[in-house]
Amino acid sequence: MRDIFKGSFEDIFSRINIGFAIILLALGGLFGVLQLLSRTPGSPIKVSAATYYQILTGHGVFLAVAFTLFFIMGLTVFMSTRILKVDINRLLLKISLCMTLLGAVLAAVSILTGKARVLYTFYAPMKAHPFFYIGAALLILGSWFTAFALFLQYLKWRKQNPDREIPVPIFGLLATWIVWIEATIPVVIDVLKVYLPMALLGASVDVLEARTWFWFFGHPLVYFWLLPAITLWYYLIPKRLGVELFSKKMAKIAFILFIIYSTPIGLHHQLVDPGVDARLKYLHTVLTLIVGSASMLTAFNILATLERAGRKAGGGFFGWIIKLPWRDPIFSGMILALIAFGFGGITGIINTSYQLNNVVHNTSWIVGHFHTTVGTAVALTFMVASYGLLTELFNRKVIAYSLARIHPYLWVIGIFIFSMNYALAGLAGAPRRTYDLTFGGMAPEIWYTYLKAGAVGGVIFALAGAIFVLIFILSILVNKGEEVRIFKFGNPHENLNEKHSVIDNIKLWIVVAVILIILGYSIPLYQLYSQGLSLVPPVAKGL
Amino acid sequence: MVHKEETYEYIWIVIVAAVIAGLSVVMAYYGFALNLNPVCNATPIDIKEVEKLTPGVKEIGPGIYEITMIGQQFSWNPNRIVLKDPKRVIFKITSKDVIHGFQIVGTSVNAMVFPGYIGQFIWEPPNNFEGRFLIICNEYCGVGHHLMYATLEIER
Ligand code: HEM
Ligand SMILES: [Cu+2]
Ligand SMILES: [Cu+2]
Repeated sequence: MRDIFKGSFEDIFSRINIGFAIILLALGGLFGVLQLLSRTPGSPIKVSAATYYQILTGHGVFLAVAFTLFFIMGLTVFMSTRILKVDINRLLLKISLCMTLLGAVLAAVSILTGKARVLYTFYAPMKAHPFFYIGAALLILGSWFTAFALFLQYLKWRKQNPDREIPVPIFGLLATWIVWIEATIPVVIDVLKVYLPMALLGASVDVLEARTWFWFFGHPLVYFWLLPAITLWYYLIPKRLGVELFSKKMAKIAFILFIIYSTPIGLHHQLVDPGVDARLKYLHTVLTLIVGSASMLTAFNILATLERAGRKAGGGFFGWIIKLPWRDPIFSGMILALIAFGFGGITGIINTSYQLNNVVHNTSWIVGHFHTTVGTAVALTFMVASYGLLTELFNRKVIAYSLARIHPYLWVIGIFIFSMNYALAGLAGAPRRTYDLTFGGMAPEIWYTYLKAGAVGGVIFALAGAIFVLIFILSILVNKGEEVRIFKFGNPHENLNEKHSVIDNIKLWIVVAVILIILGYSIPLYQLYSQGLSLVPPVAKGL
Repeated sequence: MVHKEETYEYIWIVIVAAVIAGLSVVMAYYGFALNLNPVCNATPIDIKEVEKLTPGVKEIGPGIYEITMIGQQFSWNPNRIVLKDPKRVIFKITSKDVIHGFQIVGTSVNAMVFPGYIGQFIWEPPNNFEGRFLIICNEYCGVGHHLMYATLEIER
């Protein structure tokens, strides 16, 4: 065990972050199961209402915010040091690690002691313990130091290789952290301007102001989760298959679309908010569809790569499909994640489709949507990538490999049963974020049918999650340094062009992104502030 | 020189662009030609003035109703609404404390409810809507969130 803390600082950093992320996944998953059972009609296991909303806050914060962030921090440094082969600034990484861990602990304490039953969206004027907001601020500001370290490392590489094209995975990581900076500036403004004065001084707040800054952050946030998953698909799938990615150019164009379009679209989360102009809602809807196209390019690129590999292995028109290495959990997990993302993408297009949002907003449809996106496209990709990291970063043999082979399939079967039924319940009007769906006996019978069927799926994928967590932890505890290198993450065999094109001009794309953000958000913010704020006092009771 | 594989890329990009353009036009048509938009109107209100509103139903014309609704932890006021042969319902909704969500199950009515603002929107219930409908709060508002519901009865 002790060897986890030996080796280069970069690797120790990655191990701490990824190990911590997996612990958060286990804890958040446990909360998920308790929620699932509590809200299923007729279930013998039911926590109290107060506990329900407390662990629901924990579920959202631990999984969607913290698990993803810590995993991405660890993964970034692991990949960038191996692919770029230039030093990264260790001081920045140390600051980053201390601040984010402290932030996570403060936020976790406020949630676990029941002082922050505000869910992970913490909408004002609900007021939580100051630790919750201070924790969030530390988590975000701390993560910026990892971003700076990566940017500096890249610039150093660029200096040594003035003309070389950027490797696709590095392009993906840069895009990830650029999107993160775009996303988090507005939420830092929100926390400093609205939430900390509210929590510390009891200052009054304007609900629309707080929400506008929040969703300015909330949408690019989801791309921060997604881009590393896409990066892993682009990087590891062709590597595993021994072919080149179908189109490097298309991959980079997809990343550029994410950089420039992921932010000026946040109003699609406020489609049913009173006080937001219809024309602006429509504008953000159209921009959202454009960023959706980046995902369609990604799907095409990966599928074309698969076909290329399958055909190379001698498969025919459809026969190439069976030639693929379906028994390898890293490969199968990533493809299944991509398929789940297809479902997530379609439900996402429906969410954003302006008038249709009325039908699905705040219903359990949304729960179906994000368990296929962040809950599978991202989480499953990270889980199966961890099998590779166990061998290459932690120097461990993956124990119970035969169980690891089943894990992705079990997860995806469970997720589909769960998400389909929750989506259908949502179409029938069943709300999300609800402890009990009886409503004095007036709830439609059909909700219960869907919720019960969904619970079966939930239990199945929770089981798959438990298998993964056990494999991960036991592999680390059982000290078998025998390396079964599956992928050679750290050995890019990409043929890099010695001449880069305008596509590799990241600075240009940042400038375009800033212009689009100004176009997308100047009018909403102008309208918000010019009509004057309507302040209301914070509310801590009833939480 | 264009490779065969690049042609596939371009074909795919054109398909994607066409889908986006198609969807955008349809939504714009429904939104701005047929005026089918989600709730957008809001007027600021001083939260201390909310006490002075009179929640309830007013018939302001034949089949035209105006409903003033106030949400608070954890109830709707009024919590029972009866409408006779409604054609047009104008909702004015606000909150006394935190954010709530106003949803009539089985209809397209779904709107956020903000303290500090009165949201206003119009609903034209289809002719075949009849009987009892469940009104719920669909935005988390505290530990009694799931207890916050009301009913709407439509008589024909
Ligand atoms: C381990 C198995 C899991 C189970 C059984 C589970 C179950 C659930 C359930 C039943 C809800 C809805 C609660 C409600 O709306 O009242 C929920 C919400 C949610 N889940 Fe999961 N989940 C699991 C894993 C995950 C994972 C891996 C992620 C993401 C990485 C995730 C992200 C979320 C988010 C963001 C919410 C919304 C929270 C909110 O509305 O405030 N879940 N989960
Ligand atoms: Cu979004
Ligand atoms: Cu509520």
